[in-house]
Amino acid sequence: MNLVMLSFIVMGVAAVLLSGVMITRRWPVSAAMVLISVMTLLAGMFGLLDAHFAAVSQIIVYAGAIMVVFVFVIMLLNLPPEELRYGGVTVGEMILSAAGVAVALVLGTKVGQGYLSVGIEELGILKSENSLALHRPLFGPDQNVKNVAATMFVEYLWAFELISFLIIAAMIGSVVIAKKRSAENANAA
Amino acid sequence: MLTLPELGLYFSFLMFLVGLAGVMFRKNILFMMLSVEILLNAANLAFVSASRLTNTMDGQVVMFFVMAVAACEAAVGLALIISLYRTKASIEVDDLKALRG
Amino acid sequence: MDASTSAVVQFLNNNIGLVAGIGKIAIALVIALQVAPIMVWVERRQAAFIQRRIGPNRVGIFGFKLFGLGQPLADTIKLLFKEDFVPKHVNKFFYILAPIIPAVMGLVAIQGIPLGKEIVVAGHTIGLQPVNLNAGFLFLFAMSALGVYGVALAGWSSNNKYALLGGLRASAQMISYELAMGLALLPMVFIYGTLDLQTMIAAQSETFGILPKWGIFLSPVSFVIFVVTMFAETNRLPFDLAEGEAELVAGFLVEYGSMRWSLFFLGEYAMMFTLSALTTCVFLGGYEIPWLPHAELVALLTPVFTAEPATWVAALIGLGVLIAKVAIFMFLFVQVRFTLPRFRYDQLMRVGWVYMLPVALGNLVLMAVIVALLRLT
Repeated sequence: MNLVMLSFIVMGVAAVLLSGVMITRRWPVSAAMVLISVMTLLAGMFGLLDAHFAAVSQIIVYAGAIMVVFVFVIMLLNLPPEELRYGGVTVGEMILSAAGVAVALVLGTKVGQGYLSVGIEELGILKSENSLALHRPLFGPDQNVKNVAATMFVEYLWAFELISFLIIAAMIGSVVIAKKRSAENANAA
Repeated sequence: MLTLPELGLYFSFLMFLVGLAGVMFRKNILFMMLSVEILLNAANLAFVSASRLTNTMDGQVVMFFVMAVAACEAAVGLALIISLYRTKASIEVDDLKALRG
Repeated sequence: MDASTSAVVQFLNNNIGLVAGIGKIAIALVIALQVAPIMVWVERRQAAFIQRRIGPNRVGIFGFKLFGLGQPLADTIKLLFKEDFVPKHVNKFFYILAPIIPAVMGLVAIQGIPLGKEIVVAGHTIGLQPVNLNAGFLFLFAMSALGVYGVALAGWSSNNKYALLGGLRASAQMISYELAMGLALLPMVFIYGTLDLQTMIAAQSETFGILPKWGIFLSPVSFVIFVVTMFAETNRLPFDLAEGEAELVAGFLVEYGSMRWSLFFLGEYAMMFTLSALTTCVFLGGYEIPWLPHAELVALLTPVFTAEPATWVAALIGLGVLIAKVAIFMFLFVQVRFTLPRFRYDQLMRVGWVYMLPVALGNLVLMAVIVALLRLT
């Protein structure tokens, strides 16, 4: 049990507990703030896993941009605190979701762990004819940003481009959705 | 003794459960979206842990894509919430029954 | 006696990294904490000169007046002994939390600034950047991005319409200008081929012709956009719509007083210093004296002092140069504050999205093409 392991466990437990706290908040702003602290904790965990770029982008993109939009909307609507109501979930839904969790658990522990511990070399991905795959960068604490970039812009280039289209579509979509009402109101008035 | 990335996988599983409970039990769209963010974060943790476990960079790249999708989801979802709140003055899912007739 | 000193020496030898790390963080903290009081005095004096007044010049210690440099001390004592008042209608937890966030983020962000190259102590080489992640200056961006929650929370928890409007304005403004800010720095990243500030500074110690190879000459558009967005990120005039005394009374600060109020300023000034230092490191060669790279400076100093003290003196000179370069930006901040009027809110958004963002994007594409062509040849 070294210091890294210990702090990782502390951060992980705190992240899980705080997400539990988040889903039971009444005030939206409190929930958003707790979620931001969960994200910051996760960034710390990424840092301990030697994924520095993931850690920093987690804070910049998630905590610094997405959650700011959430907080902005919450403040814009200025919602009152919500009464907690835990009704509305039937027994059937409970059973179904429990079954889903069980399936996820089996997949996560048996199949997933098996796949992950076999490692990507033994699955033959590295032995393929694809010459790009032969030069795929491996994980390492040094040159983390460089390795992420080398993987993203070589193997995942198409995915990256498609994601950029998705973002543009989402941007236009959100502008259209948020604007439409006021235009109609203006017409009605 | 578990290694660091394996622990990360277990934590991500627990976080995913909590987020799932949030989506299921809360009836406020805003809280449901915040819970979805927890789900995505748990997935990110799993991806980064797997990246460390398999000694490859793929997990971190996919995590970046997840983040981009989360940004899209937040933008469109929040625009929908604003639009809904303007028309219905409520963002409870139980109040949105127009299609049920 | 002898045994105990040797034990201490041995402990220091074994844990040199830890001790040096704590030392570096402490130095950066001291600098960040000194910025606010000194800048308050500078700001008041400079404002007075611009408006043909005299400004605070009376407070002195034991009769030494030093142009009123005792004023910050008096101000601090006054703020500390004011009543710590929490209004009844606020959300107490977030009201108390809000001022802490920007202050902490300001103090943490400064840890990513390289204060000097390195010093050699008893054979150990110690780099002078308190926090050096692989992701480089993105760490600073992350911390400055989190700082906005202080303003947003202060606005929301005050339970006051003016404050809420201030918080709303601040969060929208931060997001808009952060984009242009990041895009302005991207060309520098691929010109230098690194995110690491130390490597960037080393690359800038070279010269082409008579000019030092500073970032400001390599990509001037980036520099201009970055400086403008820096004003927006730190909520300074002409972008301080979150406060806007004329329209929002004092915006998110309405319900705050005494030490909590000054914590916001501590954070703001620390962030101003950090972003100015980042600009200095990326565009103006950081702690390097122009035309005199660090290695040559050490070589010049070595005959005068001996080998190891020469690196210490060089580090001190470097810190002085860094602070002198940062002081230029601090002067600019104050000068702009008392020269330009405040934007209207729609103008602010238009400047951000219609001018800053496309110009930054165009500059990015242009620099990318140029760098790619240069690499090909």
